[in-house]
Amino acid sequence: MINAVRAELLKMRSMPGIWVCFGLAFPLTALFVWAVFAQAGGTPGHTYSFVQTLNDRRQLLGAGYFGIQFLAPVLGAICITSEYRHKTITSTFVLVPRRDRVLAAKVLVTAWWCVLIALLSLVVVLALGLPWNAALGGVTSRVTGQLGAVVPGLVVATVLLGLFGLGFGTLVKNQVAGILLTIGFTFILEPILVLLARGIFHYDLNWLPSAAAASLAGSLARGGLGGNHDAATHYLPWWAGGLVMLAWGLIPLALGYYTTVRRDVT
Amino acid sequence: MSTPSPPRGLPIEISGLTKHFGSVLAVDHLDFVVEPGRVTGFLGPNGSGKTTTLRMLLGLVTPNAGRATVGGQFYRDLPNPSGTVGAVLEATSFHPARRARTHLRMVARAGGHDEARADVVLDLVGLTADGRRKVGGFSMGMRQRLELASALIGDPDVLILDEPSNGLDPQGIAWLRDFMRYLAGEGRTILVSSHLLAEMAQTIDNAVIVSHGQLKAQGTLESLTAGVAQASMHARTPEADRLCAVLTDAGVRFRRLSVDLVAVDGMSPEQLGPLLATNQIVLYELTNEGADLESIFLSLTAGLGFGELAQPT
Repeated sequence: MINAVRAELLKMRSMPGIWVCFGLAFPLTALFVWAVFAQAGGTPGHTYSFVQTLNDRRQLLGAGYFGIQFLAPVLGAICITSEYRHKTITSTFVLVPRRDRVLAAKVLVTAWWCVLIALLSLVVVLALGLPWNAALGGVTSRVTGQLGAVVPGLVVATVLLGLFGLGFGTLVKNQVAGILLTIGFTFILEPILVLLARGIFHYDLNWLPSAAAASLAGSLARGGLGGNHDAATHYLPWWAGGLVMLAWGLIPLALGYYTTVRRDVT
Repeated sequence: MSTPSPPRGLPIEISGLTKHFGSVLAVDHLDFVVEPGRVTGFLGPNGSGKTTTLRMLLGLVTPNAGRATVGGQFYRDLPNPSGTVGAVLEATSFHPARRARTHLRMVARAGGHDEARADVVLDLVGLTADGRRKVGGFSMGMRQRLELASALIGDPDVLILDEPSNGLDPQGIAWLRDFMRYLAGEGRTILVSSHLLAEMAQTIDNAVIVSHGQLKAQGTLESLTAGVAQASMHARTPEADRLCAVLTDAGVRFRRLSVDLVAVDGMSPEQLGPLLATNQIVLYELTNEGADLESIFLSLTAGLGFGELAQPT
């Protein structure tokens, strides 16, 4: 199992798609850092201000989440779909004939890369956001004092979004379809379904992936920056959001294992 | 053929192996054994079930019936799979952006082998200078070599190669032939599937011939060629018409291959030579075509019938 994990780590590291995701995390995080200051100052793009409320301070620290909530599912999807795209799945299963171990290794490695991208976004926030906040007159220690409240939710939500992408990719196999469906389902179809459920059935559809992850990520994903999540949404408790998100990752993974991975490799 | 060294390999045993893909019967109750210390050719036309058989042996395809084992164990149950069996399956299964050496390091990690083996096997297959290049820029021949390097990373006792000479140039094919013979000489078990019969005839000690998923023949090359009833002499002469008349009078079976070439079936040179001399037929060339691997293969896979030794054992 350890061998499989070490091989998967190197495999992921040597794929350009991973570095594209990490490269995109920089500008996306910077964009949302800017948005936090714009929002704190009033109308976005007009007046900037240092973060004053507790919610704003937490949103600044978790500004990377708004970018990596797109990137983490892509990381997970790439982890499995690239094997089918480049036909490396054959040699992977020859080298590690226990396919459950291969999938378990991919779960661990996806989680690892998601932790890294979450922490990278945090580093970008600290490097850009704290000096900018101080320059606008904010107190740095009041922001960093919220690290403990923000980082666990940020990291766990990112990991679970990555596992969701991995599970989806295991089912779909096709790389382009896997990435497009994962993102499309989460950020296009889900908001439409949420609106329809609320408009027609007066029901808060808060257990779909994006909303479930937002429940876990807490205030990071709520409020004005969320886009998909308006103030009227009643989120699940954080622990329930985490469990639902875990199910969104593991159920497709298990389905993919039984319907796809265990099949003949011809 | 070389004398086998004391084997360090393990036997491959295929027993009653059967595989259906829907209504298509790909492999039909296949039985054969591959012995260590020899190069065994696994021969058959396209679609005869060779690749499916090898994939069942490696646990990639689940058989409907029968067993395929290495040293009496299923591949997935081997304690050290890639250290026991090395497999060359398809030369296209690489991530194009990955460097050759990185690919091999990854293979070494997955199998629990020392990553330093990457450099050793790169050297073995002659790719040391290309180790830092991305595989996407490799020719088919280089990919075949890299695939072979991947198979050798665990210094395996058994090597399974599926059409390894595809894409290799003549120099590469000659290199591969020598390499397989070298590995078999160390006592390893080598099973190589191919449809390049002339090439295989120079490489293999034993042959397993399949068609439509069924075993048609197996044995040493010598036993297979000796078992073919029809040998053939080719006579090139400016008097082909007269030769045909002489052969008809003598009751000998023959085929007119061209204006000046006649194939005489079922006669040895010692029988045909005096007949030609007695009738004073001018001869430019007389060759003993015998029974080669290709004629055996074509006869077996076309279902034309064989001598006793060529029957499945």
